[in-house]
Amino acid sequence: MKKLFALVLSLALMLSLFGMAASAEGFSGDVKIWVADNMVELTRAKAEEFKAAHPEYANMNVLIEAVGEGDSATNMITDVEGGADIFGFAQDQLARLVAAGALVELSPENAEIVKAENDGGSVAAVTLGDVLYAYPMTSDNGYFLNYDKSVITDPSTLEGVLDQAHAAGKKVYFQINNGWYQTAFFFGTGATVTYDVDNAGNLVKANINYASPEGVAALKGMINLAKHPAFVNGSDAPSASNYAAIVVGTWNRETIAAEFGENYAATKLPTFTVDGVTYQLSGFGGFKMLGVKPQVDDAKLAAVDALALYLAGEEVQQARYEQSGWGPSNLKVQQSEAVKADFVLSALAEQLNFALGQGQYPNDYWSTAQGLGDDVIAGKFNDYTDEQLMEELVKFQDILISLANPQ
Amino acid sequence: MADLHYLSLSKGQRFLHRLSRSIRQLPGRLAQGVKSLALAVARIFVGIGRDLADLATTFLQGDWKTKTSYFIMGFGSIARGQVLRGLLFFLFQVVFLLYMLFFGGAYLAKWGTLGDVETTRVGRRTVYGDNSFLILLYGVLTLFFVLAFLYTWRANVKQNKIAEQILKSGKKLKSGKQDVAALADNQFHKTLLALPTMGIFLFTVVPIVFMILVAFTNYDYTHQPPGKLFTWVGLDNFRTMLSAGSANYGSTFSQVLLWTLIWAFFATFLNYFLGMLVAIMINKKGIRLKKMWRTILVMTIAIPQFVSLLYVSKMFAADGIINSYLMQWGWISKPLPFWQDPIWARVTIIVINIWIGIPYMMLIATGILMNIPADLYESARIDGANAVQMYGKITLPYMLFVTGPYLLTSFIGNINNFNVIFLLSGGGPMSMELGGNAGYTDLLITWLYKMTVNNTDYKMAAVIGIIVFVVTAVINVVVYNAIPSVKNEEDFQ
Repeated sequence: MKKLFALVLSLALMLSLFGMAASAEGFSGDVKIWVADNMVELTRAKAEEFKAAHPEYANMNVLIEAVGEGDSATNMITDVEGGADIFGFAQDQLARLVAAGALVELSPENAEIVKAENDGGSVAAVTLGDVLYAYPMTSDNGYFLNYDKSVITDPSTLEGVLDQAHAAGKKVYFQINNGWYQTAFFFGTGATVTYDVDNAGNLVKANINYASPEGVAALKGMINLAKHPAFVNGSDAPSASNYAAIVVGTWNRETIAAEFGENYAATKLPTFTVDGVTYQLSGFGGFKMLGVKPQVDDAKLAAVDALALYLAGEEVQQARYEQSGWGPSNLKVQQSEAVKADFVLSALAEQLNFALGQGQYPNDYWSTAQGLGDDVIAGKFNDYTDEQLMEELVKFQDILISLANPQ
Repeated sequence: MADLHYLSLSKGQRFLHRLSRSIRQLPGRLAQGVKSLALAVARIFVGIGRDLADLATTFLQGDWKTKTSYFIMGFGSIARGQVLRGLLFFLFQVVFLLYMLFFGGAYLAKWGTLGDVETTRVGRRTVYGDNSFLILLYGVLTLFFVLAFLYTWRANVKQNKIAEQILKSGKKLKSGKQDVAALADNQFHKTLLALPTMGIFLFTVVPIVFMILVAFTNYDYTHQPPGKLFTWVGLDNFRTMLSAGSANYGSTFSQVLLWTLIWAFFATFLNYFLGMLVAIMINKKGIRLKKMWRTILVMTIAIPQFVSLLYVSKMFAADGIINSYLMQWGWISKPLPFWQDPIWARVTIIVINIWIGIPYMMLIATGILMNIPADLYESARIDGANAVQMYGKITLPYMLFVTGPYLLTSFIGNINNFNVIFLLSGGGPMSMELGGNAGYTDLLITWLYKMTVNNTDYKMAAVIGIIVFVVTAVINVVVYNAIPSVKNEEDFQ
């Protein structure tokens, strides 16, 4: 039995070695692509168009699987060899993927094209150190205020939005126990957290000033929000109920449009006031991107590079916007009439003026931030003095600093 | 405590007495265990020494056929006419040598470092270096193979010695035909057990050994094969898990462990007593529609647990149906923090678990209650006992005696009750006080899951796995020795 096992294993190893040898011109093997569920059909159609336009890849077998941007990074890291050759993911996963050896850097030619065709924020988002690791696909991973204009007539202040919703017996959704939405408060008051990343995806240094008067003001803003009877912690429109306003990105626009109907409106996030000072809510501006897995075969790498460049290019970004309203990162698509006239994307663009481009964060940042948010919602800090709040923020800051590993 | 004093205690007190005695004896038992372990190790070394001596004398006193067999396995057997045996020995040696030469040897050679060739880029093409994961896995397999080889080689030498003795005494050796026939006769157990043993070895033993070894490496997402190497780090991970300090998991670990034990206690005993109570109530004479009540309760079993749990989890959410209605009726102004506040979340989980657990216990209790002889109750009633006394003196002791092992297994099961916790709260709420992605309702097992799936932190997950084993093993040993079903009254001395 053991002998048989060993024999099978060694045979498999030899087969995989032979499998690596392939033809130099063109490519005709399998290429696996992971995209979000609602992009599977579109990607399949576009991949066929690509094959039609490039005869040398006509025999390439493109397999498209539905793996959401949220899961793909974890799946890739768990099993790089079994993972997709091209996969979509959100930019917060970039450093993690690079550190795990699941991304190959862009070829110099493709890097030039990407830099020339996409907006600056999205290019910065795919760059670690000075190396480009992925193809920007969207420039819409931000959040803004979606509201019912029949209930909320003045969406300019957070307090106003909450009171107007409460007066109508409705709720306001804002997921403050999430490191992504939480930054709206901290960045709004001027507290920031970023990490320096080296070319290999290691987070080498934390730049953070949460333990500051600004941080305390932000935390108090969150506590005030959590105390309000109209507040509900959450950002998932499909599972929300009875809401008049929800802070979320473009991906829930269809659900929200169905809920609000004619009265659907969107605008930048409101302001909030702490101790007489008014701050504009800020937050992360984010991007979705396509990554390419390291390849052991030059011919396949060339094919996958070309396909990824195409799938992240102008034509497919336009198609994505038309089908599902994904905000483009491509400069030409951004200038198209349809995109400019879209009130949801306009609201996003307006909010992005106040937002910071999202860099790389360690995995534990998100759980630590959730811990802080959960503590706020649980009312742990409700009776705290400023000094006590500062102590909590020092603790929070120390954890975030400890997450960086100086090399 | 004197026997008389012990016998004067009530059953419950006796159990507690035995439990505390069993815990008090634990250090002594442990010391005894260590002692017997040391003795066993010593015995193994003595055995090995004796075996080596035997090998030497067999070699010196054996004939040339025996001597050759030391180097060419099965030679002696073939030379003495036992061709089938000899060929099998020889074949095993050939396969082993080929395996080591072309496959296992390379992996075993790198086992000390788990690989040292880094993955590199040639142009933009990736050339993968050593794969630490495969080196660890195949290294383990190869080690087992080497042990099997040594065992077989020893058996081969022993065969020669026995064959020599048999020939010397003038008897004949078994032929190949007789050997094969024996496999269906007095060696039949080997034929039957060959496949199951192999299966258990490959699918249970090897993965367990592999997982235990991972706890001593730095295998996590920054050391992810095939792109990156990982290597041995000794006991570092255990130090991180158990020692205090902000960079370590010590305080988080003790918090999670404590909640795991509290949860297991309530989940087991609340369900046990409430389930029994419900069964007694339904069993009571004069209760109508017994079957209907039972059916209603059993309905919760009929619905898949993950469906009902996910649904209930949504019901209790801040924006869930329960909070919405309570607010609509004006009973509360803010959502109740069922999943946001640590204490609320823990109580909610325990209460919801009662709803899930009662039907199972009710079914078990119903069967056992019907088995208690009715004349016991009758004579108790004639003696003037009330319902509480009858429960304490007849029902409970009987139940505890029969369901002791069930209680123990369900306690251990609850320590590892992944479903209820994960589907209801997902381990949350989280807090800055806790490290490693753990939440206030995380059990060790759900924490392990989060470490593996969300954080790709296999090394720490493996450490938790080992700790879960230790915790459950200790509880098992202590409680098992104290339950009445095992330590019966008569055995008490």
